[in-house]
Amino acid sequence: MSSVTQTLAKGQAESLPAPTTEDFIVRRPSVLRMLVSDVGACISLVLVVLVIAGAILAPWLAPSDPYGGDLANTLKAPGEMGLLGTDGQGRDMITRLLFGLRTTLLMGFASVVFGCALGGLVGFVAAYYTRVSGLLMRLMDVLLSFPAILFGLAIAAIFGPGLTAVIIALSIATVPLMARVVRGSAIVVLQQDYIESARSLGMSDARIIFKYLLPNCLSAIFVFVTLRFGQVILLGAALSFLGLGAQPPTAELGAMAADGRNFLFFAPHVSVLPSLVIFVVVLAFNVLGDALRDALDPKLRK
Amino acid sequence: MTAPLLELEDVTKHYPVFKGLIRKKQVGAVRAVDGVSLQINPGETLAIVGESGCGKSTTARLAMRLIEPTAGSVRFEGRDITHLDRAAMRSMRRNMQIVFQDPYASLNPRMTVEELIAEPMLVHGEGTPASRRARVLELLRRVDLAPYHAARYPHEFSGGQRQRIGIARALALSPKLIVCDEPVSALDVSIQAQVVNLLKDLQKELGLAYLFISHGLAVVKHMADRVAVMYLGQVVELASKQDLYRNPRHPYTQALLAAAPEPDPTRREAWNVLGGDVPSPLNPPAGCRFHTRCPLVQERCRTDVPNLRSIGAGHSAACHFAETVPTFSHAAAAREESPSRRRRLALYEASRRQAN
Repeated sequence: MSSVTQTLAKGQAESLPAPTTEDFIVRRPSVLRMLVSDVGACISLVLVVLVIAGAILAPWLAPSDPYGGDLANTLKAPGEMGLLGTDGQGRDMITRLLFGLRTTLLMGFASVVFGCALGGLVGFVAAYYTRVSGLLMRLMDVLLSFPAILFGLAIAAIFGPGLTAVIIALSIATVPLMARVVRGSAIVVLQQDYIESARSLGMSDARIIFKYLLPNCLSAIFVFVTLRFGQVILLGAALSFLGLGAQPPTAELGAMAADGRNFLFFAPHVSVLPSLVIFVVVLAFNVLGDALRDALDPKLRK
Repeated sequence: MTAPLLELEDVTKHYPVFKGLIRKKQVGAVRAVDGVSLQINPGETLAIVGESGCGKSTTARLAMRLIEPTAGSVRFEGRDITHLDRAAMRSMRRNMQIVFQDPYASLNPRMTVEELIAEPMLVHGEGTPASRRARVLELLRRVDLAPYHAARYPHEFSGGQRQRIGIARALALSPKLIVCDEPVSALDVSIQAQVVNLLKDLQKELGLAYLFISHGLAVVKHMADRVAVMYLGQVVELASKQDLYRNPRHPYTQALLAAAPEPDPTRREAWNVLGGDVPSPLNPPAGCRFHTRCPLVQERCRTDVPNLRSIGAGHSAACHFAETVPTFSHAAAAREESPSRRRRLALYEASRRQAN
């Protein structure tokens, strides 16, 4: 019996070709597939895609002119006129929301991208080159001591109020926060043996930073960026509310929520609808950010 | 004798200690490594042993120039590498590679095994993508891993497998010297043998030289050709493996050997020869650094610094009384009954009598 098994095994081993690498390549699910496999991530992905598409395609999707009001039909409730009613100037709410989304997303993206890029650079440099760390981080502390609203006021005073001023102010307010998060996690990563192994190979600093440091700090960065995106949208809304942001008649979700406050008791939809959109956008981006962080981590990919 | 592959001469590393918040004043220095001279010949294994904090790992990193020495020089194939500029050092690095202690921390978790092993070649601009891939597969086979492992990430492997990935990565550039910084101390004993034997096989095949850092005397006995014993940043004894294990001439080496766990339970009492802790390297004792713990301490040891001096062919020790130190013997140490054991036995007898 055993000899039979042996010969069988032997025969099999001889008849089979030696396995090649391609036979054993592990099929890893793609990042997209990972996202789709999670219900929350799936919903947030769809929402984010819809929101971005709506913002980009606003001029074509909007049923009417975002600036042309109809003063005979102001503060119409949803369903009464158009699907979602009209605002204080009789402008269609759907149109306003789509254009407002466009402005708000642009503001959010732009300030997060600029602020985090600069803050990330400062953070990595401060962690990697310990010589300049003290100077850079004290500089960041100075920035950190100013509230974002104050930046908004100062920059609006210099450039005049408007979207650009808000983006600049929010970018500057983001830089020190990002720098701290990045420096903190980069310092942890720099303690690891694999950084020393990279040095022992004679790798360039740029390669170490981009191949070793950045990928291993990605989780912290993702969490911060998605959280910050939500905060920036809310801060931008606050600045618009104070009249420092997008100027009328430009539609912006924060400014729209502010406009509606006078009619809060008899036409709540004017304030509630833009606030709801802000809520959904921020939530969707946060959930998606979390899911994306998990999907990009090889340890959590199954 | 052939020219040495790597030579450390009087290598010293002091870490300054600062005090004061704004105007920092240097108040002292941690003498991590204090005047170490060693030579490694091509194809040879030199082991460095010693307690935690004695400067073994710092010496290894100084040899690789991963940290800059405070003083002294490191020569590789006769060429002083202590002052090489970045570019020259970079091309030098392909000749010396390092294997780390912790296989869980020494591989970038975001890279696949293939990327990890191919990276040294990529960084040094060696080969084409296809040739690098072929070399990765060859190296994987060499360290007893399968080709399909190439596409996996480090976290999917066990400690022993990861350490072999680390070895494959170190081999990628065909170095002449591999510094092994406690390569098996983080592994299970059953896996240690596997990794140690792999290292030995590789040495035989490729003529590698190893600088082998360890605190495991059994592993060193198996691996090394020559052994350097370090204490508080200095080499106290340097000898061939046979001489060192059979005839240790420095009291510290004897204490280390006596402290090695004895698998025979009837002989376990020879333990605990050495009392006390290693003194602080911030303020090492005057005279012989070992005098605070030495069982054979004399008046002279407290004042005179003993130099590492030759006491036989290829055997040197840093002890004033190296020639006259009583010969160490496991058996002799075992037969002698320790007072602590007698005390415990008496206590045991007394309590038994009381119980009756």
